[in-house]
Amino acid sequence: MLLPMEFARIKSLASPFLSWLPFVFALLTLVGCQAKKTYPSRPILLICPWAVGGGTDRLSREVAVFLEQELAVPVNVVNATGGAGVTGHSRGASARPDGYTLTMMTVELNMLHWRELTEISWKDFTPVMLINRDPAALFTRADENRWEDLNAIADDVRKNPGTLAASGTATGGIWHLALAGWLQAAGLKPDSIKWIPTNGAGPALQELVSGGVDLVCCSLPEARTLLAAGKVQPLGVMAESRVSGYPDVPTFQEQGINWAVGGWRGLGLPQETSQEIVNRLAEALLKIVTGQTLLNGKGFPWFMENEGFNLTWEPSDKFRRSLERADQELGSLLTSPEFSQVNVGRFQPMDFPKLLFGALAITLLALLVRFFSRGKSIAASAPTRLSGEGLIHFLEIVLAVAAFALLAEKLGFVLTAASIIFLLLWRLGTRIWVAAVVTLFVVPAVYGLFGNLLRVPLPRGILGW
Amino acid sequence: MDFLETSCGCHYREEYWDGELSEILLTALEQIFQWPVLGIIVISAAYGLFMGAIPGLTATMAVALLVPLTFFLEDVAALAAIVTLEACAIFAGDIPTALVRIPGTPSSAAYVDDAYALTRAGRQEEVLGIALLFSVAGGLFGAAVLITSAPWLAKIAFQFTSYEYFWLTLLGLSCAAVVSRGSLLKGALALIIGLLLSTVGLSEVHSSPRFTFAQDELIAGINFIPAMIGLFGVSEVLRNVLWFQNNFRTVVQEGFNQTLTAGRSLLNRLLFQPLRCVFATASDLLWRRKLHVLRSSIVGSFVGMLPGAGADIGAWISFALSKRFSKNPEEYGQGSLEGIGDATSANNSALAGAWIPALVFGIPGDSITAIVIGILLMKNIIPGPQIFTNETQSVLVYGIYITFILANLVLLPLGFLAIRGGSYLVRIPQPILLPVILLFSIVGAFAINGSYFDVWVMLGMGILGFVLEMNQVPLGPVVLGIILGGKLEQTFIQSLTKSDELWDFFARPVAGFLGATCVLVWCSPLLISLWRRRWQTSP
Repeated sequence: MLLPMEFARIKSLASPFLSWLPFVFALLTLVGCQAKKTYPSRPILLICPWAVGGGTDRLSREVAVFLEQELAVPVNVVNATGGAGVTGHSRGASARPDGYTLTMMTVELNMLHWRELTEISWKDFTPVMLINRDPAALFTRADENRWEDLNAIADDVRKNPGTLAASGTATGGIWHLALAGWLQAAGLKPDSIKWIPTNGAGPALQELVSGGVDLVCCSLPEARTLLAAGKVQPLGVMAESRVSGYPDVPTFQEQGINWAVGGWRGLGLPQETSQEIVNRLAEALLKIVTGQTLLNGKGFPWFMENEGFNLTWEPSDKFRRSLERADQELGSLLTSPEFSQVNVGRFQPMDFPKLLFGALAITLLALLVRFFSRGKSIAASAPTRLSGEGLIHFLEIVLAVAAFALLAEKLGFVLTAASIIFLLLWRLGTRIWVAAVVTLFVVPAVYGLFGNLLRVPLPRGILGW
Repeated sequence: MDFLETSCGCHYREEYWDGELSEILLTALEQIFQWPVLGIIVISAAYGLFMGAIPGLTATMAVALLVPLTFFLEDVAALAAIVTLEACAIFAGDIPTALVRIPGTPSSAAYVDDAYALTRAGRQEEVLGIALLFSVAGGLFGAAVLITSAPWLAKIAFQFTSYEYFWLTLLGLSCAAVVSRGSLLKGALALIIGLLLSTVGLSEVHSSPRFTFAQDELIAGINFIPAMIGLFGVSEVLRNVLWFQNNFRTVVQEGFNQTLTAGRSLLNRLLFQPLRCVFATASDLLWRRKLHVLRSSIVGSFVGMLPGAGADIGAWISFALSKRFSKNPEEYGQGSLEGIGDATSANNSALAGAWIPALVFGIPGDSITAIVIGILLMKNIIPGPQIFTNETQSVLVYGIYITFILANLVLLPLGFLAIRGGSYLVRIPQPILLPVILLFSIVGAFAINGSYFDVWVMLGMGILGFVLEMNQVPLGPVVLGIILGGKLEQTFIQSLTKSDELWDFFARPVAGFLGATCVLVWCSPLLISLWRRRWQTSP
């Protein structure tokens, strides 16, 4: 219910915008005409759940370049990192199923839901193409020659359980799982080698070389540079057959242990994506993985080989079946009582925060003591008195940011940003025409700069921009 | 040399160092001093300056965007582009730090208060001139370290296990807390808040969720880039509007306009006078503080060389060293030119340091060198000791050396132009500037991960920053706490898991030294104040 007077006031407040409405409509119609095109007609977003510089990121960026070549639209990689892969996978699964959000899925997709970190599983995706499999391998320091082969380590562990330390990823990560699985297959307890959690294979290898741990479990490409430098020595690879590119590394099966596991990477779309779009992408990807798409005269397999990634591709149906099987395998291992024991380390997750809370309490106490002993000298000294207008401006800024976070996905970047900046300019006392000129200059400039030149995936909204 | 032959199982050919050196150097020079490659260097410098100057866009992102282009570039050109981009981007991070109080990189957060205070006094060109000149000096020193002693220094990186990293991380954090404006207790409070914020999300050690309240978004934790933009940028916008008068004020309040005093001739007005504005104080200060620059650059190169420790720790430690040994420590945090200079030279020298383990062993020193290793591998070059011995590949290594020097030289004129251009920003009236800053902040926070949650993080941190500043709690330690909290916890838990008793934390020589330094950093202010109090009361 609005009183007539209030309505009049709102109308007078709104009048500057009413004059812009025809332009907005004109723009909308223009864009609306462009929107009806065959897929893909605008930039595609490729979500990489891992950080810049890692293997998955590298692979994602290469696939993106080739896809760009094949589909003739920009393909932008975004690293939605954190949460051991939860963030990227869940964002990819819950994206609009219009084919414009692809996800580089990794092996963690089949592990996270078993560990109850997320609800998302492979069932939330339509698998498009598996691109790579990297089996786990076991490394030791090269200069020591401590063990001949796996059985020598196993004997060592049997004699003195709990003395050796291994690393490779966080506790409960894929390489930890691989190590525990091997120990189990060799008839040992999964926790008879101490697992030192690290933030990925790189830091773990660094610990290995500097003598911090005795073994590292990770994939062969991850250790490639240190292998070439002669600093680490592979003891075996957990694959069914030897890996191309590493013909000298024996498999675990050759050494009498029936255990194979590894990481994989593949592309997926949200579950409800139409078959037409899936087919279009699968067709493009098939051309890429078979080396038909050339970039500067070179195909995708050439890049994969150079970087030491194992190119193994599987089309949609086969990929789906492997996903289903791997999910069951990992699930039975992760939920087994032996492994769930391993996860309970000596130090609990809340130990560090507890320590911090303790420190916080001490600091606050000390501050309080000082406050009372010194009187009000350290109390806040606001420069001037607060004015009502200032408080309103303060709230307006907060609301502006909140409005962007809430509305941009639906309205698109251009409309949201333009209204926010125009309103703020106007509220801070800029003359209407100055505000309009600034808005018309800044918003398209930011959009062109970030959205096109720098390939930031700005929200596109229902209108497509 | 001996070390490489014995412990790497690889062999340096003797003749490589004697005869072929000049030949390889010449080939590398030839490959770089071609118009296309020089053109690429200038373009990447401009691109790096631009990316670095926009809050939220990082040098790492800029390099990642370059990756597809490197498919088409020659090896030398591709590496030259990355080196130049990186060297320019880290300086450019100082521009928004000084002008709008949003640190372009986490390492700029060490001196954001100083730089912004000087900008408000109308001395932004002086500050940025110092940042530029000291950055170039630090960058050149870092390059010299990389060129002369990469193989020997890389060996040190292998002395670092979780114990050493734990102490180093703690040292960086302690320096931030101790050195910040305000009291030690408030610095500690800020640090603890930052560390606590870093524990939100999935713990990297245990991969178990903490403080996530069953929200999928919180599981990723708090990203430091939106947090940094919020803490510094948004809180500043909030403060400005709260005490906002409806007149066309600019950021510079009591400023004096130096360029207006320019002479009559056009050349003088357009070139000499601005040059004097930007570089006069800077070159003078650089000459007076050459030894301090050396000290900061050594710290920077050393910290940068360690995988996982980076420019941010280097900048904070040098800033703390600078304050500790300064004649006017009271200026630090209020607008100390010395502190800004020392910290910027440290963060620039850290860049070249990160290439040392990357080239020698293929272990990335930071996220940019991680990308570089990927690019090298793609071009069928495997980083490692052999990269120095193989003829075609050592040309590439020399190419990197030369570009590091060139990049810093190109940075001088381009940086000058950027400073001149940027300085106009502070003359825009606040009613126009503040909304535009806010829009850039939002886009910057959103850009890093394409996530709306990050926009909320930015807003929350903006309000937190506002509240903390009202109570004179410094913000720098909060940011560093968020960045390094995970690393601290990890190395702490790793070390605890490995060790049997507390002594293990000090048992290794380097760890012992770093640990003792850490303890000293915390105790020295207490001891000094105790001593002073006794001294004051006893007579």
